[in-house]
Amino acid sequence: MHVINVNNLTKVYKARKRTADVLALNNFSLQVEEGKIFGLLGPNGAGKTTFIKILLGITHPTSGTAEMLGKPIQNYTIKARIGYLPENHRYPGYLNAEQILIYFSKLSGYYPSDLNSRINFLLHLVKMEKWKRVKIKKYSKGMMQRLGLALSMINDPDVIFLDEPTDGVDPIGRKEIRDVLVNLKNEGKTIFLNSHLLSEVELISDEVAILHKGNLVQRGSVQELTTTKEIYEITLDKALVMESINAINETGIIERHGNKYTIKVATNEELNRIIDELRQNGYYFQSIVPKKHSLEEMFINLINDKEKNAS
Amino acid sequence: MRNILTICNYTFREALSRKIFLTFFGVSSLVLLIFSLIFATVSIEDMLPVVNVNGENQVDNLVSELTIFFKTFIIVPLYGGGLFLSIFSVSSFIPNMLEKGNIDLLLSKPVSRSQIIWGKFAGGSIMVLLNVAYLVTGIWLLIGLKFSDWGMSLLYSIPSITFAFMVLYAMIVLIGILTRSSILAMMLTYLIFFIFSPLLVAREQIYLLFDSEILEFLIDSVYYILPKTSELGKITVDLVQGRGISDYQPIWTSLLFLILNLSLSIITFSKKDY
Repeated sequence: MHVINVNNLTKVYKARKRTADVLALNNFSLQVEEGKIFGLLGPNGAGKTTFIKILLGITHPTSGTAEMLGKPIQNYTIKARIGYLPENHRYPGYLNAEQILIYFSKLSGYYPSDLNSRINFLLHLVKMEKWKRVKIKKYSKGMMQRLGLALSMINDPDVIFLDEPTDGVDPIGRKEIRDVLVNLKNEGKTIFLNSHLLSEVELISDEVAILHKGNLVQRGSVQELTTTKEIYEITLDKALVMESINAINETGIIERHGNKYTIKVATNEELNRIIDELRQNGYYFQSIVPKKHSLEEMFINLINDKEKNAS
Repeated sequence: MRNILTICNYTFREALSRKIFLTFFGVSSLVLLIFSLIFATVSIEDMLPVVNVNGENQVDNLVSELTIFFKTFIIVPLYGGGLFLSIFSVSSFIPNMLEKGNIDLLLSKPVSRSQIIWGKFAGGSIMVLLNVAYLVTGIWLLIGLKFSDWGMSLLYSIPSITFAFMVLYAMIVLIGILTRSSILAMMLTYLIFFIFSPLLVAREQIYLLFDSEILEFLIDSVYYILPKTSELGKITVDLVQGRGISDYQPIWTSLLFLILNLSLSIITFSKKDY
């Protein structure tokens, strides 16, 4: 089931001069499956936050349709099943963690008989139980972020939108937040993640989409996006005597570390010809692994290519 | 309805956190304490010379005048000062709510935008109602105990003052949504409350200065469009003094102003991107 189903969504921020209008989303379509961690990536101003805001009814779309949990986004009651952690959130400083969790629970239409237990559970989950009765104005940035995560989960939502969830959080805290998100996914929740920290997105996301200037430029699983099909890392039992291998000489070795080689091939046939030739010459393969980029490398290359093409 | 009550409740808390309403409450308590002390230590006979200026010796009339004196003595500054403080304290409700990071959270909840406006409006209005009711009821009790005057006229000032506040607050809400500026909302409201409304009450005198029908029409239009807080103040004093309402026009035109401002606030808020 698609928990998010968006078709041809366009958002234009109108300016006084028509030429200064900003196209934040351009015919953007996206479907997100239930129970996945979905990462939305893009440089600043790509339209990521606008997309989330449209889904949550904070901003209105210029055109296109969007549904969440099978209902149109204009139906505000569906937000009872949604959690949200915005970027640059501001919580009322005069409330404490417990009070704001009760407030958001009520606003979400969530009135369980054991709300107090749920509050204790969530504060324990984000390591904030000791700060339960301390006014929010005394919290650090990282603590606010942890509280924000608890707030996004207070109504036991089916879909959680997180905009830069680890912003201002130390490395240990980030790991803890990642663990929380993976646990939520294991409970069948869908997590929609906006983050600049691509290494983190790579670690936990099942699927990723990349936005650039309001357009969807890439989409796929992290595995698909980070694998480079033409480049392989081969490890042999001994170092190569280069002159004896014609196929590999034709192809060219990109990198060499002892008996580990990175080669570039154009086709599968070419890869198999190299394997055959090496085997015939008495070399044994210890491994053949498609070379992987990090998500960050792939992202930077992709965005640079787009920028070059545009200019 | 539940959503409106929740937002109303937390608007109330926001107001409490500002301390201004607590100050108002503290000042009201002090006023009640001073009146209690005066009433406890000074006899009615000792008070009579205060109002016995026309030489009449009818004690019943004098007691009645004395209670009216005390009621008016409380209501006039309460109307002016109470509304001044109330406007000051609620002017930032909407701009604060619209701040980035705050409004996102609110709108991400299953609450309609009109419910948010109603909740904010009700929260501020109830806060003022409670504060006014506390002081007025306290004074009413003290006067009743001292002079055995249990007439309800003083209590009519509670809805009257609250209504005047609601009319101005509706304008504060609209300006807040349009400009996100609490200072502008406050300034424009004070401008109407302290300058325009008293001036427009005396518009007949202004017409004498300028012999122009167009100007009369313009001033009349402004008069009927803007809330009539000065006249609402006069109606409040009349009610307290037991004279009743002689002209309902300021009430219904101010009510229309309130409805128009709230409607525009809801429409504008519903259409805006945040």
